[in-house]
Amino acid sequence: MAKDTLNNVKLGLFISVALVIVIISLYLIGRNQNFFGSNFYVRARFANINGLITGNNVRFSGIQVGVVDKIKVIDDTTVEVVLVIDKNMQPYIHQNSIAAIGNDGLMGNKVINITPNKLSSPVIVEGGLLYTRKAPYTDEMMEKLSSTNNNVEVLSFKLVNTVDQLNNSKALWRILNDTTIPVNLKVSINNIKEASVKINELTDVIHDIARDLHEGKGTAGMLLTDEKAAADIKQAIENIDKASKESVTAIAAIDSVVQQLHQDMFYGKGAIHTMLRDTQFVSRLNNSMVNIEKGTAAFSQDMEALKHNVLTRGYFKKEAKKLKETKKP
Amino acid sequence: MKIATSIRSFLSETGSVARFVYRYLQELLSPRYEVRQFIRQCFIIGYNSLPLIGVTGFIMGLVLTMQLRPTLLTYGVVSKLPVMVSLAIVREIGPVISALIFAGKISSSMGAELGSMKVTEQIDAMEVSGTNPFKYLIVTRVLAATLMLPVLTIMSDAIGLYGSYLGVNIRDHTSLNLYFFEVFNTLHFGDVLPAIIKTFFFGFAIGIIGCYKGYNSSKGTEGVGRAANSAVVISSVAVFIIDLLAVQITDVLGLN
Repeated sequence: MAKDTLNNVKLGLFISVALVIVIISLYLIGRNQNFFGSNFYVRARFANINGLITGNNVRFSGIQVGVVDKIKVIDDTTVEVVLVIDKNMQPYIHQNSIAAIGNDGLMGNKVINITPNKLSSPVIVEGGLLYTRKAPYTDEMMEKLSSTNNNVEVLSFKLVNTVDQLNNSKALWRILNDTTIPVNLKVSINNIKEASVKINELTDVIHDIARDLHEGKGTAGMLLTDEKAAADIKQAIENIDKASKESVTAIAAIDSVVQQLHQDMFYGKGAIHTMLRDTQFVSRLNNSMVNIEKGTAAFSQDMEALKHNVLTRGYFKKEAKKLKETKKP
Repeated sequence: MKIATSIRSFLSETGSVARFVYRYLQELLSPRYEVRQFIRQCFIIGYNSLPLIGVTGFIMGLVLTMQLRPTLLTYGVVSKLPVMVSLAIVREIGPVISALIFAGKISSSMGAELGSMKVTEQIDAMEVSGTNPFKYLIVTRVLAATLMLPVLTIMSDAIGLYGSYLGVNIRDHTSLNLYFFEVFNTLHFGDVLPAIIKTFFFGFAIGIIGCYKGYNSSKGTEGVGRAANSAVVISSVAVFIIDLLAVQITDVLGLN
C-alpha cells in the first residue's frame, strides 16, 4: 500500500512536470504571437507586400512589438495589412510613423519595420492607417546590380586599354626613370615656397597700403578719401575745361593773326615782305654791307694814325696802363 | 485463392479490431470505473517508460544537432540551428520516436502479459469471479497509454531540446537563454498543438493494438510470443500511418 502511494506520488510528479512544461511552452509561444495581453490594431497599405504572410513579425525601431494579423486586397493596386501591436507600444507610435516591408536577415522571413518620424504628430489611434514606404525588393536590386556590373565591365575594359597605353608610353617611362626630376621638383617646390613667402610679404605691404588708403594717408589716400580734395579736383577739371574752351577762341584769334601775317608776308607792302620777298632789296643790302666794311677799314686806319699822332698818343698810353693794372691781381 | 484468403483474414481482423474498439468505448463510458488500476497502469506505462524515452529523446536532439550543423555551416546559417532542430523535434521526431519506443516497450508487454493471462485462463477466471476483465485489464491499459504518451512526448521534447542545446554548445557558444528564446520564437501553436494531439492517437493505437493482440491470443505459449511480436510490428506501422494522416489533416487545416 505504501508502495502504491509512493508510485502515485511519482506519477503525479511526472504528469505535473509535463503539464508545467506544456503550459510554459504554450505561454511563451502565445506571448510571441501576442495572444495574451492587450493589443491594438493598425493598418498599412502597400502596392506590393513582397510575400509577407500572416504571422510575420512587426518591429518598431527594431523592437518586436507585434505580428501581421490579416492581409486584405483592397483593389488591384492596394493591399491592406492589419497589424496587431502590443498596447504598451501605442504611446510611442505616432500617426506619421512609416511602415516598410523588410527582411529578417538576408534569407530570413519578411518583417514589417515601423520607423518613427522626427516630425511631431499625434499618437496613432486604434485602426489608424500608417504611412508606408516602398521597400527595395530583390528583383529591382538584382537589375541594378546587373547594370552596375555592365558598367564595371566597360570600365575595366577601358582601364586595361589605358594601362596598356601607359605601359607603352616611352615619354612617361622616361619621366618616371629620370632621377633628376625629383631634385628639380624639390628645387621648384623650394622656389615656390620662397615665392609664396615673398607673395605673403607683398600681400602684407598691399594690405598696409590698402589700410593707409582706407585711412586716407598719402596722396592716393587723400585722393580716394578726402572729399575736399575731390571737390578741388573737380573745380580744377572744370577750370581746365573752361581754359580749353577759351584756348579754342584764342587759337582762332592766333590763327587769324597768322593768316594776316601770312597775307602780309607774301602779298603785303611792309618791311617783312620786303626783307623776305624783294630780291632787289637783298642786292642793295649787300652793297650797303660792302660799303660798311670799307668804311670800317678806313676808320681802323684812321684810329691807328691817331695812336701815333703826337697830340693823342699820351691818352692811349694812359689807357693801356690802366688796363694792365686791372688784370694784375 | 491464397490472396482471397489473406484478404478475407485481413478484413475479418479489421472487423474484429473495430468491434474491440467499439467495446472499449462502451466499457470506457459505462461505470464502474477502475480508477486505482488505471493509476497503477499510468505509473507502469508512463512513469516507468520515462527513462527510456528520455534517453532516446536526449540522444535524438544531440545527434540531430550535430548532423545538421555541417550542412547549415555550408550555407552559413549555423545560427538557424536552434530553429531547425526545434521544429524537427517538436513537430515530428519527438512524437514519432517516443511513440515507436513506447510501442516497443508497452505494446509488446501488453501483448505478452494479456496473452499469457489468456492462455493461462486467468481472464476466464476473472469473469467467473465477477470482475469485468475487459474493464479491468483493457480499458485501464488503453486509457493509460492514450494519456501517458502525450506526457512522455512533452518530456521527450523538452529533454531533446536540452540535448540539442548541448549539441550546439559542442562547437559554438550559445547561452541557454538565447537558445530557448530562439526556439520559442520559432515555434507557433500550429507546430506544437497538432504534434501533441496526434500523440493521443498514437498512444490509443499502441494501447488498443497491444491489448487486442494479447486479449485474442491463442495456441499456448507460442501464441503469446506471436501476440507480443505482432503487437509491436502493427502498432509501429500504425504510428506511421496515423502520422501520415495527421500531416495531411494539419495541411488541410492550414497549420503546416
